[in-house]
Amino acid sequence: MSENHIEHPTPKRYVQIAIVLGILTAIEIALYYTEDIVGVFTDPILIILAVGKFIIVVGWFMHLRFENKMVNRFFAGGMILALFLFAIVMIERASANFF
Amino acid sequence: MSSSHSYPHEPTGVETRKLGMWVFLSTEILFFGTLITTFMIFKGRDFPGIKLTDVYDIPFTSISSFILLMSSLTMVLAHNALEANDQEKTRVWLLATAMLGSVFLAGQIYEFTEFYHKGFELTTNIFSSTFYVLTGFHGLHVFIGVVLLLALWGIGQRQRGLNLEGGMNLEFVALYWHFVDIVWIVLFTVVYLI
Amino acid sequence: MTKIIEPNKQSNIFKRPSSETGIWSWITTVDHKRIGIMYGYAAFFFLLIGGLEALILRIQLSQPDNNFLTAAEYNAMFTMHGTTMIFLAIMPISAAFFNYLLPLQIGARDVAFPRLNALSFWIFIFGGAFLYSTFIFGTAGAPEGGYLAEEVGWLGSAPNGGWFGYQPNAGMKYSPGTAMDYWAIGLQILGIASLISAFNFITTIINMRTKGMRFMRMPVFTWMTFAVSFLLAFSLPIIAIALFYVTFDRKFGTTFFLTEGGGDPVLWQHLFWLFGHPEVYILILPAFGIVSEVLPTFARKPLFGYAAIVFAGFGIAFIGFGVWAHHMFASAISPVAQAGFGLSTMVIAVPTGVKIFNWLGTIWGGKIKLNTPMLFSLGFIGMFVIGGLSGVTHSVVPADTQQTDTYYIVAHFHYVLFGGALFGIFSGLYYWFPKVWGKMYNETLGKIHFWLMLIGFNLTFGPMHWLGLQGQVRRTWVYAEETNLQFWNIIVTIGAFIIAVSIIVFMINWIFSKRNGEKAPFDPWDARTIEWTIPSPTPVWNFSKAPEVKSLDDFWHAKYEEDEEGRAVRKESADQMLLDLEEEGLNPTENIVLPNPSYFPIVLAAGLPFLGYAVIYKSIPLALVGALLLLIGGFGWGTEPLEEEVEENLEHE
Repeated sequence: MSENHIEHPTPKRYVQIAIVLGILTAIEIALYYTEDIVGVFTDPILIILAVGKFIIVVGWFMHLRFENKMVNRFFAGGMILALFLFAIVMIERASANFF
Repeated sequence: MSSSHSYPHEPTGVETRKLGMWVFLSTEILFFGTLITTFMIFKGRDFPGIKLTDVYDIPFTSISSFILLMSSLTMVLAHNALEANDQEKTRVWLLATAMLGSVFLAGQIYEFTEFYHKGFELTTNIFSSTFYVLTGFHGLHVFIGVVLLLALWGIGQRQRGLNLEGGMNLEFVALYWHFVDIVWIVLFTVVYLI
Repeated sequence: MTKIIEPNKQSNIFKRPSSETGIWSWITTVDHKRIGIMYGYAAFFFLLIGGLEALILRIQLSQPDNNFLTAAEYNAMFTMHGTTMIFLAIMPISAAFFNYLLPLQIGARDVAFPRLNALSFWIFIFGGAFLYSTFIFGTAGAPEGGYLAEEVGWLGSAPNGGWFGYQPNAGMKYSPGTAMDYWAIGLQILGIASLISAFNFITTIINMRTKGMRFMRMPVFTWMTFAVSFLLAFSLPIIAIALFYVTFDRKFGTTFFLTEGGGDPVLWQHLFWLFGHPEVYILILPAFGIVSEVLPTFARKPLFGYAAIVFAGFGIAFIGFGVWAHHMFASAISPVAQAGFGLSTMVIAVPTGVKIFNWLGTIWGGKIKLNTPMLFSLGFIGMFVIGGLSGVTHSVVPADTQQTDTYYIVAHFHYVLFGGALFGIFSGLYYWFPKVWGKMYNETLGKIHFWLMLIGFNLTFGPMHWLGLQGQVRRTWVYAEETNLQFWNIIVTIGAFIIAVSIIVFMINWIFSKRNGEKAPFDPWDARTIEWTIPSPTPVWNFSKAPEVKSLDDFWHAKYEEDEEGRAVRKESADQMLLDLEEEGLNPTENIVLPNPSYFPIVLAAGLPFLGYAVIYKSIPLALVGALLLLIGGFGWGTEPLEEEVEENLEHE
């Protein structure tokens, strides 16, 4: 199974990735305090940042980038299914009193 | 699966245990998805009594979030050290990861007790209930992760040391640990920041 | 020359189990075949109990204003009947088939994680025992304004909120006592068992296929196992969390599903049916798989449209996640949601229809051999079509609001789950009987079983359609004499007892044939899949050496070739090949490493009911006992290797 290990990054790269993650977290926290200035864009930006961090950890730290396609599809499948189902539930529950 | 018999396995090239772990993590998405959905539904409603925003302490939670995030770094460094077969370094990074995880847990326990003292209890209102079940379920995952890490560290003390194959191997635990971390990335944003 | 490597019994902290026969060998086994057999017997035991509960219900309903049962007892009986049949009978009996057949059909020596397999079996057993311990320890009080406390006998001290546990009816206020806690935590434990087995089967199918067993060469039964495992893996977490909420509501005073505290009872319905509808397909897809194996074998034709059947199966599994709210048309959901889910419910009939036509295409023009498995499969198609058609009528929202909670619904889902799933399961039990026991069942008794069951089944559930349309309400323990529902209710009760008789015939056949049946020939059905290339009963090591598969229906192609007109002609060498296969299967020539038996799955599983009792009775000591068992089990498991190292053992020889 050596083919799975050839491309793994070096420790230096891992530290760089961690720094990026740290900076993104710092931006998130900063956004929380500047909500009055950024206004309606705060929440979307926060969500984008969280998704970004999520993808970085899954892709690099969990090596999903370097993993078999089967694993990729499985994880993505679970993700998409969950988003799809729960979006419907949330919208339905939020809208039940309006229609 | 280190036996030498001729029976074929792993036509996909992914180690079976690792594959099993990925399948497990895929279903974990649904566990946390259900919890987060409930949280979001109730967050948008009116409820009486004290709110999370009245009691929480963003700088404190930010620091503990950062600690959990960095434990992912130490975890991946442990993995990296083991790939280079550096047992000593692997153990050090493992212990560091377990320590960071424990600090996060301690922070969560401190936070919960603070909230309780301020009157934000499990049954205060629907929001507090969802908050405790959601973050508590995540805390339970962190706790299990710390136990696994310490067990791995204990196994690493043996003569033969750790390897990347067999029963409870490092890669297996590492995947779980990173997953616990990414769940917190989402929870921190959804619960505290938004 | 010994072929199977003996475990090194002293190599670990704990002594390893060593018995090969007797009760301990079964308790500690990690062999997928033995686990499958145990699943089968346990599930059949619960099927009998669930059937008994159904008979009790039918006795009560045979007369108007009957007082055989009190309302409280009736509530407990229908709740336990549904819960038992779904979680303790059909699901585990499907698991029995998965366990026994899956490794054989893909040419593997065992599942990917043999000890996890044993663990899920024991968790299932302890979960079932935990749920049924409610009859001993559980209490069901009288809700305010409901029935009287003295009406709750021991029979009524069981969960009584329905298998769907609708809130707030299943909450503390309307279902006081501990019985519903047993239900919530019992399902939680059973869910863990199914979830673990789902991981195991998915990993097994992806990673344990033998040489040449590409995905599109796998038997349809294996495909359906795959689909079911996906459904389990992605739907059980949702109900697990919802049951957490119920337990918190009942035990710790939260109000997730209670409006008085700002909660949302409709959210429970969403979460329950998000699991509950895929669950319906979890119950029926294994039967689809079995039927897709039986029909081509006895029609002596290849399965018509293999790829279509496989993709239709996954289509059903996928769309099955998007139709859940059709169970909630009568609840407070928005009209937009009603329209959307009505449409998706109509759409899911399409892949199901594809399958029906594929099966009909398979038997069309075939040389049909009408023995018991085939009869059950044909019965399955007929009954399932009836159930499927009445199902489509539910997708029309205005009609459904009339049908909701009437016997029409009861008729519908029994046609799919009894006429569908259970007929398919019986077909499979007869079909693989020679494989498991190496004996033939009695064909005459089998046919008597089939006809009795078909007649009894239709007498029981057919009239329920019109009872429902006449307005008989389900989950209600009496009906008034003036409603004129009496005649058909008596017929229904008679039908139920005919089913009971047919089950007795089945049991006699099983016990007698297993003991005294004729020895089964090597390839009794002239079958198509590779589980028939090995001797019956299956040797412990399954395949002497890893088989290599060259095509779909590989075994058939090894035996038959096409003549100039495209007809299948048996090769002259086929009979000799079968003899060789039997010889080879019984005498392996290479070293075989099997996973060793282990005590720890059962120890680990035994911890869960203690944790369950600890939550119900809020008892710290019980929680400690449970945690200790988990700890011992986990520690022993972690320190004990699955297989002994081969090199060490070779030195002993």
